[in-house]
Amino acid sequence: MTRYDLIVIGAGPAGLSAAAEAAGAGLRVAVFDENAKPGGQLFKQIHKFFGAKEHKAKIRGVKIGAELLAEAEKRGAEVFLNSPVAGLYKEREILVRRGEGVGHYKGDAIIVATGAQENMPAFAGWTLPGVMGAGAAQTLMHLHRVKPGKRVLMLGSGNVGLVVGFQLRQAGCELAAVLDAAPRIGGYGVHAAKLARTGVPFYLSHSIVRAWGTDKVTGVVAGEVDGGWNFIPGREKQFEVDTVCIAAGLAPATQLLKMAGCAMRAAGADWLPVCSAVGETSLPGVYAAGDVSGIEEASSAMIEGRLAGGAAARKLGFIGPDEYEERRQVLLAALASLREGMFAPQKRGQISAQTDEGIDLSQTLLRKGYLEEGEVGKYPGVKPAAGIHPVIECTQNIPCNPCRDACPQGCIKVTGGIAALPEYDDRAGCAGCGLCVAVCPGQAIFLLNEDAGDGLAEVTAPYEFLPLPQKGELGAALARSGEKLCPAEVVRVKLAPAFDRTALVTFRVPRDFAMRARFWQKEAAA
Amino acid sequence: MSSERTRDFGRYVAAADDDVIICRCEEVAKGEIRRAVRDGLFTVHEVRRLLRCGMGLCQGNTCARLVRGIIARELGVAADSLVEATGRAPARPLEMRVFAREQGL
Ligand SMILES: Cc1cc2nc3c(=O)[nH]c(=O)nc-3n(C[C@H](O)[C@H](O)[C@H](O)COP(=O)(O)OP(=O)(O)OC[C@H]3O[C@@H](n4cnc5c(N)ncnc54)[C@H](O)[C@@H]3O)c2cc1C
Ligand code: SF4
Ligand code: SF4
Repeated sequence: MTRYDLIVIGAGPAGLSAAAEAAGAGLRVAVFDENAKPGGQLFKQIHKFFGAKEHKAKIRGVKIGAELLAEAEKRGAEVFLNSPVAGLYKEREILVRRGEGVGHYKGDAIIVATGAQENMPAFAGWTLPGVMGAGAAQTLMHLHRVKPGKRVLMLGSGNVGLVVGFQLRQAGCELAAVLDAAPRIGGYGVHAAKLARTGVPFYLSHSIVRAWGTDKVTGVVAGEVDGGWNFIPGREKQFEVDTVCIAAGLAPATQLLKMAGCAMRAAGADWLPVCSAVGETSLPGVYAAGDVSGIEEASSAMIEGRLAGGAAARKLGFIGPDEYEERRQVLLAALASLREGMFAPQKRGQISAQTDEGIDLSQTLLRKGYLEEGEVGKYPGVKPAAGIHPVIECTQNIPCNPCRDACPQGCIKVTGGIAALPEYDDRAGCAGCGLCVAVCPGQAIFLLNEDAGDGLAEVTAPYEFLPLPQKGELGAALARSGEKLCPAEVVRVKLAPAFDRTALVTFRVPRDFAMRARFWQKEAAA
Repeated sequence: MSSERTRDFGRYVAAADDDVIICRCEEVAKGEIRRAVRDGLFTVHEVRRLLRCGMGLCQGNTCARLVRGIIARELGVAADSLVEATGRAPARPLEMRVFAREQGL
């Protein structure tokens, strides 16, 4: 039996943050993870994250994972990979598979940061090969570099469905549609808009009736559902697809906590561990942090991890009460700021009609995934201006503000809380540097120059597909809905280290299309 | 509620989707679970012991929530009123040969 001051189960954002925090306070820390790669969900998240600077906004998830691992190891935490924890017992003992045997380890404190597992709906044919969790599709693409299929149907329009849907497009898969049984898109409007403008249709109030195929999926029958989620007869649609991705939510992976005897409470369809504000469960010295204590985000998981790591350090006497309390308050404040906005966990299930600023939310965005041309001007990020200027199509209160920090000219304001809508301040004078366009994790910012000569306008849009277009290449300009508007020539392709691999593609369209064209598509695919 | 053994929830009536597999590890179909409830097994626990759903390789990681939902619907109660199955080691599949090889005791 090996002893540690702290044992952390799970090397995701929560676990690695907990380990870094505790090891920094001087605890001897071991982290066990069943995967071959550390980072939990993060090692699959190739997209830029929301939040503020202290939440690592605008950094890609994979990179956040690598940074956390480096921090934890530098501070002396030992990270054991390929080490599934099979048991958590009283007296804070764990049973771990190590190679071809099992080992027993004991911690004076234990932090369970095992994350979540994907929910599966059971429709006829759901066990056919080709039906997979969205997380599995991500693992195939980003870990094993395998395309999950040629033509995919996504079930679920929460952020996971939207993000993985976009990544499937990036990997070169066709996305037949995104379905959701709910009448509104569940994830961020900016994530939905990213997909819609590439031509992906959304079917809300729709679910899968059955998937068919002999050896693997070859098609799906979807149907419209009523308010009680019952199929409406005669409202079926067929999709010919070879892959079905399920993004129907996540459930906390609480098995170890239950096994240890932690008190659990019912919360909607799930059972969650009863925890204090710093994550301590009903068993003294056993903590839960991250998705396992309630599904949220990596950004919140990292803070919860640090809170639990700090609490363990305090409990074992590695830090004094004042130092602990000061740090705790900082972390709790950072957590509270992440829980602002219309998607906050405490607002789940509520429907708002307006933004905090009192502007009507776009219903088209909620149902079809894009803003109507006529409504864009209602939002504070969109103002007509002469010369080059940003158009910020970010219209829901989400906890995010890197656009503000990116602008060297101070053109973008996010005032009155992190979830406020970004506002374009037309007095500041945009220099056209494009930083705001590149950092925006929602890809919601465009640069417009409505007078590029010859009755043409130049639209600059973020672009994350390969191969990149070439200067002079002729393609098609697509509208927010993905509708093809007109031929469009690329006049510039910009990449800079500060853009972190988001290219800025500038294309020319007739001036009338300046406020409509939002995506440039290669001709071959058009 | 679910402990009222005498309460009559009505007989099992076959449904069109009864043959949909719910627990893929142990190949338990929806109809078997529905029938078990109508036969008087009102908890996740009891159903699991009779049918082995959730006792396979993945230890219920995929089906636990589905099984709970089906039982709740048969009983006409909210899913969160049904206590989850007990968590037991091994929480991850371990071959007996590995399990038996204790290291560094
Ligand atoms: C597609 C997608 C996109 C997302 N995008 C964002 C985003 O843009 N911004 C954001 O903030 N969040 C995002 N999230 C959410 C975020 O990834 C999760 O909230 C976060 O990873 C939770 O962190 P965690 O440490 O609690 O769990 P995880 O990251 O799930 O890590 C848990 C770890 O524990 C390990 N583990 C579990 N059980 C055991 C065991 N028995 N033995 C050993 N190891 C075990 C797992 O292998 C895993 O490595 C996204 C999630 C998905 C799926
Ligand atoms: S392009 Fe540059 S100067 Fe203009 S708003 Fe964006 S960040 Fe500011
Ligand atoms: S516009 Fe600003 S606040 Fe909105 S998603 Fe982009 S970076 Fe975040």
